Amino acid sequence: MADKAKKAKKSKLEGKDNGTRNIVIGMVLLVIVVGAITAVAKNHANSGASAPSAVAASDGYGIEFNKTAPVKVDIYEDFQCPHCRDFEALNNQYVNNLITTGKIHAVFHPMSFIGPESVLTAAAAACASDQGKFLEMHKALYQQQPATENSGAWTNATLIKLGQSIGINAPSFSQCVNSGKYFNWTKNIEDAAASANVNSTPTLLLNGKPLPQSDYLDPVAFQAAFAAAGAK
Amino acid sequence: MKKIFTTNIQEWATLIARLILGGVLLAAGWIKAMAPSEAQSSVRVYEILPVKVANTFGLILPWVEIGIALLLILGIWVKWSGISGGALMLLFIIAIGQAWARKLPINCGCFGNGGITADGKVHPWVYATEIMRDLGLVLCAGFIARFPRGKLSLDDKKLM
Repeated sequence: MADKAKKAKKSKLEGKDNGTRNIVIGMVLLVIVVGAITAVAKNHANSGASAPSAVAASDGYGIEFNKTAPVKVDIYEDFQCPHCRDFEALNNQYVNNLITTGKIHAVFHPMSFIGPESVLTAAAAACASDQGKFLEMHKALYQQQPATENSGAWTNATLIKLGQSIGINAPSFSQCVNSGKYFNWTKNIEDAAASANVNSTPTLLLNGKPLPQSDYLDPVAFQAAFAAAGAK
Repeated sequence: MKKIFTTNIQEWATLIARLILGGVLLAAGWIKAMAPSEAQSSVRVYEILPVKVANTFGLILPWVEIGIALLLILGIWVKWSGISGGALMLLFIIAIGQAWARKLPINCGCFGNGGITADGKVHPWVYATEIMRDLGLVLCAGFIARFPRGKLSLDDKKLM
């Protein structure tokens, strides 16, 4: 292109028409800056969020059992995760046994990265925890896991029904589910899991150490890992 | 006459390159911006940054992608938005390459998944296809940076 034409173009760019372009540039920059700042600002754990009983920020807001048992097991799962269902089908009974006999300090972190129905199910499990039925609800949620994620199968109504099927009939449970009482708590769980570097589900930490990938779907290796950690 | 014709083709090609690179960045950025915890995870899995830094970076990155995408699609500062988009892709290629070398599973929140399955097997094509895709986008970025003048661009004074 000739120099002359270049100059003409430049002078025209600096004319009043440049205003439109500047406005567009301003809008783009605004979108980015506001988006990024909001994302970072929203990310902090909300200490004011309602949380089920027996939850501590220091334990990632997880639902705890046997706080004083010597072997600590952190369980990060998403109720919509098919791998978690497979894992639970194989190992649920073993883990529940260790919990009910007081052998392990279990901390459940119900995550919700798969979507809206993960938030609903995690919050409902927390409501069940208030009724002393977390383990039962946890088991039932995996047994009844819908084939597809976020398909509309889990709603407040179906979760309340699921609660009834395991013997939760207190009106406070349905109230808890319907009001979304623990929605903000599920965000705290996500936030704490991010800080704990949990990148997939299921993730189990035995005394803070991640269980090797190959142990999740192999009950023999799984139980051997627990025994090695001191839980038998 | 011949010269005008080829310039014309180049300007359309620049527009197409802008739309491809911008479109991919916009889609990837938007998906991650709407799923912040996955976006954070998709940075953590590469194990390059400390967890805390990775988590913050994971929240900001989608918006940077969206920003570069909008500039490319609208045709603003085309040369430099092209270079930025290409630089981002090079960064991704390095990240994926080192994850592949270190056998880290990459659960990228957007297009791909895994790299390593539950049984511990490494699936090279998962990394390879991601790198190929990003290389293609680097080529788009290179073309844009070399020939920033294109159709339907706000950098073009005729449009205003």
